[in-house]
Amino acid sequence: MTKAIIKLTYKQVIDASSTGDFEKNVLFASYQEFLLKSQAYNPGNKLKTFSEMKNNDGRANSLHYKLSFVIGYFIETLKNKIPVVTDTLGNSITFEVPKFELIESDVNSIATHKVAINYITGDLTLLNTIGEYLVLTAGNSEETFTIKMQDGLAITSYQQAEIKTAVNGHSVLSKLSA
Amino acid sequence: MERKNFLRTFVFAAAAGPMIMDACKKDSASTTSSSTGETTAADVNAGSSACRVTPTEVEGPYPYPGGELTNPLNRADILGGQTGVPLILNLLVVNTNDNCNAVANARVDIWHCNKDGYYSGYSGQQGQSGSKNYTGETWLRGYQTTDDKGAVTFTTVYPGWYGGRATHIHFEVFINSVLKKTAQFAFPETISDAVHNNYGVGPNTTRNAQDGILGNSATDLANETPSLTGSIAAGYTGTYTFGIAV
Repeated sequence: MTKAIIKLTYKQVIDASSTGDFEKNVLFASYQEFLLKSQAYNPGNKLKTFSEMKNNDGRANSLHYKLSFVIGYFIETLKNKIPVVTDTLGNSITFEVPKFELIESDVNSIATHKVAINYITGDLTLLNTIGEYLVLTAGNSEETFTIKMQDGLAITSYQQAEIKTAVNGHSVLSKLSA
Repeated sequence: MERKNFLRTFVFAAAAGPMIMDACKKDSASTTSSSTGETTAADVNAGSSACRVTPTEVEGPYPYPGGELTNPLNRADILGGQTGVPLILNLLVVNTNDNCNAVANARVDIWHCNKDGYYSGYSGQQGQSGSKNYTGETWLRGYQTTDDKGAVTFTTVYPGWYGGRATHIHFEVFINSVLKKTAQFAFPETISDAVHNNYGVGPNTTRNAQDGILGNSATDLANETPSLTGSIAAGYTGTYTFGIAV
């Protein structure tokens, strides 16, 4: 197959059923911030859920990024390692950008509060696929690692690699088709 | 308690222990005989090692990493690496329903664009240099809680501008966790023009009077413009009082 430059995104959903300190901290901190910041999209405090706020005023979607700041400290503690998902040897996968998402919430109940963190990797080179496994390298490394495709994990950027070939002694950049 | 002290105390407690327990037994035994004769909680406690003063310890170095400081935006210096003409904002929160007395413990949130017209935190903004994505970054955002004089200070840079809006800074003020005021600062245009020339982006093409959000009247506009002193070289200091009908 043709090599490709890809980015992977792992979506970690966190709600009241989540265990682990990191998850609980994210849930609690983002809920407290939701209670504060949602008021801007809740005229007269008549609305209860994030869905109601979005239906009433599309600008409530600002809460996705407005709540993201409060969990920055906890994200830092991950040291750019995606939690939960590893490669097939159990080694952690490095992410570059964490993107916070508010899935649902309710001003009266943290039990309804549900968020997700999308961990987006930097550029990885996809060398091959074997069944549901991706064979990848990071940067210019000769060393490869293997990741199993699974629920919550997706290729969210895909570019066919430009391969340098020599034609009559001249270096030529060509984009190969699959 | 340090371990050495703990061990020393433990030795002492071990020696004193039997005497303390005996004392407890006698006391509770007399209580039992003089009342209903039923076994009481005091009896149970007295018969175990539970009847002693628990040593006091610190909460531990990491009881809840970050604790109340977990929000990275709780900061007076909101620069986060951004550059520009320095701007210090000395702000007061007062209650217009109480002779404009200071409001302590009000949370004042601030956010604004950088000198190139971009906000941190999200993607798809046009700014001055085409679409940029600043997801995951927090610069030029922060909040502080007012002191007993109702004051907060922020250290930042003079904002730039982006198409369609006059130069502005956003604020939210929460009192007892209730959003009491959503506000925006406008800026004196002569100063903004000079700063924006200094930034190399030129004067804002949306003037204050044309802005669709700021200043529903000239009075409104004046009432949401901070007083500025200073210069481009030295930076500016702005003062403003948020009057809120609490």
